[in-house]
Amino acid sequence: MAQIEKKAGLLRRTSSSKKPLKEKVVLMYDEIFAKEDPTKNNPRFWDELFLMKVNLEYLEGKLESLDGDEVMKIKDNINSLFHHCVQALGEEHQIKVVNALQTLCALFRGVHQKNKSATGFDIINMLMGFDKAELRMKELMESLDSLLCGDGSESLKSLCLKLLLCLVTVTDNISQNTILEYVMINSIFEAILRILSDVSSRAQHGYDAVVLLALLVNYRKYESVNPYIVKLSIVDDEPTLDGMGMVIHHALTEYNRQYKDKEEENQGGFFSTLSSMVGSMFIADADEKLSVQTNEAILLALYEAVHLNRNFITVLAQSHPEIEMATTPATPVPASPTTPLGTTPPSLDMMNNPELPLDPNLQTSNLLITFLKYSSIVMQDTKDEHRLNSARLCLIILTCIAEDQYADAFLHDDNMNFRVNLHRMPMRHRKKAADKSIPSRPLVCAVLDLMVEFIITHMMKEFPMDLYVRCVQIIHKLICYQKKCRIRMHYTWRELWSALINLLKFLLSNETILLAKHNIFQLALQVVNLFNMFITYGDTFLPTPSSYDELYYEIIRMHQVFENLYCMVLRVSTNAGQWKEPASKVTHALVNVRAIINHFNPKIESYAAVNHISQLSEDQVLEVVRSNYDTLTLKLQDGLDQFERYSEQPREAGFFKELVRSISLNVRKNVSLSTMSQDVLLKEFSSIS
Amino acid sequence: MGDTELELSPAQLEELQKSPSASSTSTTSSLSLPSSPSSGPRPLTSSSPSTSEGLPTSSPPLDVISEGVGELSLVIDTEVAKKACQEVLQKVKFLKADGEVSSASSEPVLVNGTAHPLSTDGGKPPKISEEEAEPVKNVRRRQKNNSSKQSWLLRLFESKLFDISMGISYLYNSKEPGVQAYIGNRLFSFRNEEVDFYLPQLLNMYIHMDEDVGDAIKPYVVHRCRQSINFSLQCAWLLGAYSSDMHISTQRHSRGTKLRKLILSDELKPSSQRIRREVPQPPPSCPPPLHHGQGMSEHSLSPSKRTHQRSKSDATISISLSSNLKRTASNPKVETSQDEPVRLTPQREFIKSLMGIGKRLATLPTKEQKTQRLISELSLLNHKLPARVWLPTAAFDHHVVRVPHTQAVVLNSKDKAPYLIYVEVLECENFETSSVPVRIPETQIRSTRSVENLPNCGISPDQRASSFSTVPNYDNDDEAWSVDDIGELQVELPEIHTNSCDNISQFSVDSITSQESKEPIFIAAGDIRRRLSEQLAHTPTTFKRDPEDPSAVALKEPWQEKVRRIREGSPYGHLPNWRLLSVIVKCGDDLRQELLAYQVLKQLQIIWEQERVPLWIKPYKILVISSDSGMIEPVVNAVSIHQVKKQSQLSLLDYFRQEHGNYNTEEFLTAQRNFVQSCAGYCLICYLLQVKDRHNGNILLDSEGHIIHIDFGFILSSSPRNLGFETSAFKLTSEFVDVMGGLDGDMFNYYKMLMLQGLIAARKHMEKVVQIVEIMQQGSQLPCFHGSSTIRNLKERFHMNLTEEQLQVLVEQMVDGSMRSITTKLYDGFQYLTNGIM
Repeated sequence: MAQIEKKAGLLRRTSSSKKPLKEKVVLMYDEIFAKEDPTKNNPRFWDELFLMKVNLEYLEGKLESLDGDEVMKIKDNINSLFHHCVQALGEEHQIKVVNALQTLCALFRGVHQKNKSATGFDIINMLMGFDKAELRMKELMESLDSLLCGDGSESLKSLCLKLLLCLVTVTDNISQNTILEYVMINSIFEAILRILSDVSSRAQHGYDAVVLLALLVNYRKYESVNPYIVKLSIVDDEPTLDGMGMVIHHALTEYNRQYKDKEEENQGGFFSTLSSMVGSMFIADADEKLSVQTNEAILLALYEAVHLNRNFITVLAQSHPEIEMATTPATPVPASPTTPLGTTPPSLDMMNNPELPLDPNLQTSNLLITFLKYSSIVMQDTKDEHRLNSARLCLIILTCIAEDQYADAFLHDDNMNFRVNLHRMPMRHRKKAADKSIPSRPLVCAVLDLMVEFIITHMMKEFPMDLYVRCVQIIHKLICYQKKCRIRMHYTWRELWSALINLLKFLLSNETILLAKHNIFQLALQVVNLFNMFITYGDTFLPTPSSYDELYYEIIRMHQVFENLYCMVLRVSTNAGQWKEPASKVTHALVNVRAIINHFNPKIESYAAVNHISQLSEDQVLEVVRSNYDTLTLKLQDGLDQFERYSEQPREAGFFKELVRSISLNVRKNVSLSTMSQDVLLKEFSSIS
Repeated sequence: MGDTELELSPAQLEELQKSPSASSTSTTSSLSLPSSPSSGPRPLTSSSPSTSEGLPTSSPPLDVISEGVGELSLVIDTEVAKKACQEVLQKVKFLKADGEVSSASSEPVLVNGTAHPLSTDGGKPPKISEEEAEPVKNVRRRQKNNSSKQSWLLRLFESKLFDISMGISYLYNSKEPGVQAYIGNRLFSFRNEEVDFYLPQLLNMYIHMDEDVGDAIKPYVVHRCRQSINFSLQCAWLLGAYSSDMHISTQRHSRGTKLRKLILSDELKPSSQRIRREVPQPPPSCPPPLHHGQGMSEHSLSPSKRTHQRSKSDATISISLSSNLKRTASNPKVETSQDEPVRLTPQREFIKSLMGIGKRLATLPTKEQKTQRLISELSLLNHKLPARVWLPTAAFDHHVVRVPHTQAVVLNSKDKAPYLIYVEVLECENFETSSVPVRIPETQIRSTRSVENLPNCGISPDQRASSFSTVPNYDNDDEAWSVDDIGELQVELPEIHTNSCDNISQFSVDSITSQESKEPIFIAAGDIRRRLSEQLAHTPTTFKRDPEDPSAVALKEPWQEKVRRIREGSPYGHLPNWRLLSVIVKCGDDLRQELLAYQVLKQLQIIWEQERVPLWIKPYKILVISSDSGMIEPVVNAVSIHQVKKQSQLSLLDYFRQEHGNYNTEEFLTAQRNFVQSCAGYCLICYLLQVKDRHNGNILLDSEGHIIHIDFGFILSSSPRNLGFETSAFKLTSEFVDVMGGLDGDMFNYYKMLMLQGLIAARKHMEKVVQIVEIMQQGSQLPCFHGSSTIRNLKERFHMNLTEEQLQVLVEQMVDGSMRSITTKLYDGFQYLTNGIM
């Protein structure tokens, strides 16, 4: 947001300064755009150019205004400009470096904006010339690398990253950006890691570095060997990974905080109560206000880290004291031991830093908790495309986490209990749960809560089938782990069961509408199989014998739903048609549930008849259940505890392509080279030079 | 000439022996002998070639005296010897007054002592450092006059019977500088461990007693500090703690504070060691002097990348220290940041971090928050490990490599936040010289798979397609993954091992194979339900997790089980020298009384062992770091009786039967015997030390049936809130008696018999016990020394004047009294009301 404002401010300034008299730099630009070699008249032309303050708008505008043929005519001069920009990066004079960086950016942008249709090769030719391209780009990347890794000015580093972001996002589809081929060959991966591993540089440039990395990883991801993918997947340096986690953690926390602020803004005060009294017609507006711009770029970075790098999983559980970002702007990222040389380990830092609050209400947090909270906010509202994508990505990340054994181990670690305040959608029929009442539990409970929450809040006409499928899969994966490791979570399974049954009910009642768009049988099958997991393997992971009884009670109580479902799938499977096969799978899957219903219902009826009770209490039903287990035979079903491992290709490739495209657009929009005003830079460098 | 001064020829000794009043010159030389430590830690052995024949080389040359009277010294009874000693001592004391006068008159020059009295001694090695030389003059001075009278004492000192305990006693009781100086030097000839036991006494004397004693002790302390970092830090901590009761103004200039500063300034570098090291030792022998960061010498350690990073942990700590000091706003210019010694720094910083955690935890209101915070703080601490740090409570040299942070628990305490951590260490030859282990990342066990885990890159599309498939029973091409994953599960999840029901897992495998047969398998719902209840019934001995009492579960888990579990989850677990230690970190608590209690318990344990009384007690090690912080070595495999009762909801006897089996099983009987032996031991302890605050939260029960008393916060003259509760001699509830088999049982009689034997044995060695306490009383404000009669009362409780028959009656009375004591019950009720302790 701030960036946009600043940019607007700058624009205003330039427009107001438009005078008939041209700036010197503009005159010089004009010389470049003439066909003559500018050094002909002035041998020191290039030296002088980079001492001039860059006029980005003019340069970009000029490039844009030329069509392909015209550009080809001045190709030599542009090549020369590019060449001298790269050379200027090596200058000691920092003003020159700054101007060169900005000029480069204008070049990349200007050339691309005009030539959207042009092939990547043409653009390379235009900028650098075919014969020189490889050399020039090598020089450029090397210069950027040394600027990023050096001890130079932080503003310079920031500019370098901005230039890179600018370069990476000049095309809508990152994979069509042929110049990036050179970025692949001349890797700046190490420089990015270096920024992430150092406390101070991470605080200043971490965000850009992480976004840049996430984008680079997505360059021709499915078509070629991307060295960034390979390198990212084998990083095992803890401080670096931690640093990356911190940056993501910080960004997500910031989002959560902003959301919370807005929420409180909307709730508090007389006016809001009044407006809520006025009626629900403004609810849409209120929702609008509540939506804080989601940040897919950082989420993508989290995904790539979790998906590609197994070592990153430990970072998820790395706990930090949750620091309110707003109160400590000076130390935006809680310092962690970065390099083994460790400047300042945070524990000591905290100890001796009196400013840091020792708030008893300060919750210990970790990246996973923050991510869960973030997800709970994002998943509340999936109506618009961005949020739907965000929610999908959240679920994909959770899928990856649920599949990882190490992650599962700490999700289920009895020693690591946390209170996770998930955001819950305000709904008419339920009270907002008091935050304090949430018990401290292993993290898997929070994940399950989140899934249950999603299930019960998204049964709507625009049914997010894809998200539901992922959601149920996550639950399934967690239960498989629990079964395999015989972990008995003291979780209120009943809430999950009833949510799942309600989901089935919803599918049934909206059968015709939903069938037009989705394969509801796949989802129904997954849900029924979850019940089958509980029924046949409950002994391995349920916490108490009575929880097994409760499962039966719940099934019996809702028997109507299962019976209706059976009728429906039976009907569909007997008709020929595209749903015949999937529907018949559901009929088979229902065999045990039906066995239970058919076994116990008569027993309960007779119990009622014998005891002359019209309505049995829960205890009475449980009593009947307990005493009649032995005469019930169940069929063991195959493959209940097996699942498809998550695989990005080919199923998710399309989604990620689109996602990266939208992120690219967004980043391009927000990257502003002029964020740093010339004054600041001048002030900084005047003392140096 | 010089030689004859340094050692006595047998002839001289003969003469000395025959004529106690021999010429003063010869005795002077004999007595000045031991006070020249310049020849090394054992000055006496090295310089006596003439006397070494027929003598054990390790014994000081003056053993010749006892050799001369040969058989006598072997027959000598301790009591007799002691009596003799005391007589001599009396004489010495008496003579001292004379000596003072005469010496002042005869050698006035030496009073201010710049002139070196020994400088006249021709062939003697001349260089004696000042601090060590100082006492010598005094020795000289005194001996001239008293020599003849002291020879008896000398003979005792040189005899084989003279042990460290006697040494400490004479050092404390003797007002004779000569004797003190002699003993100060004699300290060098004891084994380090022997002296270490009395370190609190030595240092307390150094701080609070007169100069002569201090001068006598200092050379030894300095010498040991040069030798060992551990000893240096122990000294510094103890000096700080025992100086704390002084008035602040005197404290600053006191000897103790000065010595502490000297040690912490790290000027006491290993002078001799340095020379020794320079020749054979490779560079990593001592932490590199890194003040300004990024490794100068690291490269020499190992070429591998990871070593390069991690060997800097020493440096990390010192850097962090200096940067921290800079940060404290209240103290902008910290002078220590510059000259902070590197040798001691890592360990000091480590301890400081642990204490800092404790302080911060104390500010959090709930156990749950404390636990969470603790875990997160420790996970950060882990980043700095391994380092050249160690747990001082351990019995072997090691480096700390990792703190399994999720295993740490906050202990039950009302307003403080003591916590228990487990610490993974690698045993090593010598923690000062062995190189610090290389860091292995947390994910090491898994990291081998990182490279394979490139699902979508570098693989051709069709390969990718094949990787996209279901994982039926984990036996497809993803094998590397899944097999590993299962292995990993076993590593990380204890449940899988503790579970004995293999038939179930067999069963789930069956579920997959059944696919092929297509034969439907039927199972009874009842079986599933039954298995569920059976499995839950199979694990009754674990405690239920209680957020208000997080330590119960952790402490209940058998130690071996825990070690195995943590080892499997640790990246260092595969190393053969891997060990698990645990320690309780106490912050805000004064452990000096605990240390005193430990010493007394240890002494009694030794006495009972020596006298072959099968009493069982478990002294647990205490590390005093300051007057309000320290560490405790936890008793493993033990939970408090309070926790036992709360969790099991059983009587103690029923719990014994649940844990050890029914009466008459061998296990139960063993446990019962252990219970009785420990009960008798602790009853005596409680009586002798007047241990109060004996509620069930302070009595542990271990897995073998022993009870262990913990928390010696109220001993001797102090009692909780002076409520006058607990007037009985010790705590003996009817529940305890039930476990012993009732009042008429054999075991109960055995219990009383043990008490009697134990008391008789303790009485025999009363002096050894009393001296530990008595010396610590010097200059102490500890509540246990409140009033003037602490020592007298303590001595009285040994009942030296009673016959054994009378003692037996006494024991009967005490047992009776405690049993009937209403106050014990009342006190338990009081605790239940106030602290919720059952």
